[in-house]
Amino acid sequence: MRPPSQKRLQAAKALNQLVLRFYQECLEARAKGKPVGWMPPMNGAIEIFYAMDLQPVFPENWSPLCAAFGYAPQNFRIAEALGYSRDLCGYLRNIIGYVHGLMKEGGTPLALPEPDLLLSFGGGCVPAMKIFHILEDRFPEARIFSADLPQVAAEQVQDHHVRYAVSEMYRLIDFLTKTTGKKLDYDRLKEVVGLSNQASILWEEIMAYRRYIPSPFSAAEIGIMFVMVTRQGTREAVDFLTQVRDEVAARAENKIGVIEEEQVRLFWDNIPPWYNLGLLKSFEKMNGVVVAETYSSAWSIRLEGDDPIEALARKSLLSYSLVSCVSIKKRKEMVLKACRDYVIDGVVFHRNKSCAPITLGQMDIKRALEEELGIPSVIIDGDHMDERNFSLAQFQTRTEAFMEMLKHKKGLW
Amino acid sequence: MTESIQAFMEWIEGYPEKHRALSLQTPLVGYFCTYTPVELIHASGFIPVRILGESGPIQKAYTLAPSFICPYMRRALEKALEGRYDYLSGMVQGYTCDVACGLTNIWEENIRLGFYHTLPLPYNRNPEARAFFRSIFSELIQKLEAHGGRFSLEALSQSLKIYERVRGLLADLYERRYQGRLMLSAKDLFSIVLAGFVAPPETYLQLLEALVKEVQGQEVIKAARGFPILISGSLLDDPKTLEALEDLGMDVVADDLCTGLRSFYPPAGEGPGEKNDPLDRLTDRYLHRFPCPARQRARDRFPLLMDLVRHSGAGGVIFLLQKFCTPHLADYPILSEAFNKEGLPHILLEIEDSGLTEAQRTRLEAFLEIHGRG
Ligand code: SF4
Ligand code: SF4
Repeated sequence: MRPPSQKRLQAAKALNQLVLRFYQECLEARAKGKPVGWMPPMNGAIEIFYAMDLQPVFPENWSPLCAAFGYAPQNFRIAEALGYSRDLCGYLRNIIGYVHGLMKEGGTPLALPEPDLLLSFGGGCVPAMKIFHILEDRFPEARIFSADLPQVAAEQVQDHHVRYAVSEMYRLIDFLTKTTGKKLDYDRLKEVVGLSNQASILWEEIMAYRRYIPSPFSAAEIGIMFVMVTRQGTREAVDFLTQVRDEVAARAENKIGVIEEEQVRLFWDNIPPWYNLGLLKSFEKMNGVVVAETYSSAWSIRLEGDDPIEALARKSLLSYSLVSCVSIKKRKEMVLKACRDYVIDGVVFHRNKSCAPITLGQMDIKRALEEELGIPSVIIDGDHMDERNFSLAQFQTRTEAFMEMLKHKKGLW
Repeated sequence: MTESIQAFMEWIEGYPEKHRALSLQTPLVGYFCTYTPVELIHASGFIPVRILGESGPIQKAYTLAPSFICPYMRRALEKALEGRYDYLSGMVQGYTCDVACGLTNIWEENIRLGFYHTLPLPYNRNPEARAFFRSIFSELIQKLEAHGGRFSLEALSQSLKIYERVRGLLADLYERRYQGRLMLSAKDLFSIVLAGFVAPPETYLQLLEALVKEVQGQEVIKAARGFPILISGSLLDDPKTLEALEDLGMDVVADDLCTGLRSFYPPAGEGPGEKNDPLDRLTDRYLHRFPCPARQRARDRFPLLMDLVRHSGAGGVIFLLQKFCTPHLADYPILSEAFNKEGLPHILLEIEDSGLTEAQRTRLEAFLEIHGRG
């Protein structure tokens, strides 16, 4: 007899604890006088912070939490009242609304500590940079560091881009040393970068188990990504991912899937709707499982080589470009590869009003899927933060018709 | 005067045919944004031409790009898909905003041209950024040479000379406008600037020189023509909008548009050191040019805008943005608050297609009613 299916990973519980602990630690850091620096995600500053015993805070990561806790609508209202257009990325409107509203009012179970340092990185999208420009006005006491990171397609990275990124890393270390009085211990950095690399390897291993049929877990569990965003370079991340890996491996070997009968395997492109991750599960009642998504491969970038700074610089250069319109070619290649590797039947493109950089290029990927692999896809209009730009009725009609079509194509109907 | 304006209009209206004819002799390279170092393209033996959006329907573009990107980029893609740019040899673009980067890559996937190249522009102005600028310039030169270009420092000096002269003349015209000594309408001045994006710089320089000579002959102080305003915003490629503003009773006395002041100011850069190396001068100009919100903070742009206000005597500001233009929309609240503190009235208009909508006209009338008359 088949073992009963268990939708959720056991590790999900541990994840909740981890999230709480991280945000508590952020607040405590401030109370203890440990310097707090706000920064965008997906760059090598995180490892440098952990190596220098500084506290990183990621306003972009805070946004999904606000969406989950239901703070987002209020944050949007405040940002919009300040004049921030509804056409701006939801991450931007959410954080700006939060720092001008709830953060001042207090009283929420979780909160962000005020920043001592604000690091803006030129390497991501325009909203990610503008968020920090606006925060600089809200926190005039904070010390500011503006880093440059060439926005260059992954396949076009050359030595001079890496050299510049490396010199920016050194400039950052210099700035941190001067403003916080803390020194960077090179051996400690090597250790942190080593841990970060282990996390990337574990991430890839975990993702590889999703090739199993049935898939041991679905995109609804993508919350595990939290440790990649906030904890890269720590033992905690490695321990947690090891636990996830072991659980996932056991499930895969015992053929424990997300649902009893996995008939259709799906790929989700673009950021998920953080206010309703349940949508990713809605395919399950139609015997479909979302087994892979844009982020599956975005966190596997290795940090190898003798020079940890160069490894961090390379990671920083690739992170944004691999998931955005900077590298449409490379991204297309990655999605097509994922669809082959994970034996995907169909792709759901989330046309995300809050994120032009990830949405641009989707149509080219869609066409390549059809032409090169014969994989059909469907487009869902939505927004990863702002529910007002999402229509449940459209989602249901389109996904149901799509699932029927896929089943028909597989001879299941 | 109308005759010399006509020469510019001919370029705006007739550039597709002219480009096609030119391309038989000299290869043309397209670009979207004025952070693209046109001097290098020109010095390598190509004619740089800016892609204009203009007004018109959009159909095909929706099969490749979402509706929530600026109308300019949507229109440009539509035109490219219609085959209107098949005379280009390549496209060069600086990473300014995300949409410009994404659209360049979507073009590359769908519009077959000889080559595409994106420059990852630095945000900083320190010596490291300067050195990096040089390295991305070398990379671009290599790419241009790999596609039939021939570059030399002498040719660059020559190109700089032409562009600096062009930009200097445009800056003079603007200066006259600030002083109320320019008899041209906003629409005409705008058309003059616009023509410079599509005409080869040598040809354009001649047209400008002729025009400036005429203008110099008319030393008159113009009578007040309406409520003096500064237009701040993204790209505008349709002169009709300015005409509509003037018809309503506005006198456009200054702008920081991407198809206006931002494209030519300051005219030249400096090179450190004795040699005055042309690459240094070029680098310097792009590092210190009048900033776009895609590159700089609202806080740093505000004093520059205030300088324009004071210098031109503007009594109000119109933010004229392409709808969905993230860099400008993100700066707007900070700028708007800063203008409030200065007691300067302002209004935000987003261009959705082309020209002004009825609702926008009504809002402008109300704006004038409150701030502009009496
Ligand atoms: S990458 Fe997308 S979601 Fe992230 S900040 Fe930029 S626009 Fe917003
Ligand atoms: S800066 Fe604004 S107008 Fe220019 S391409 Fe980007 S979104 Fe469009």
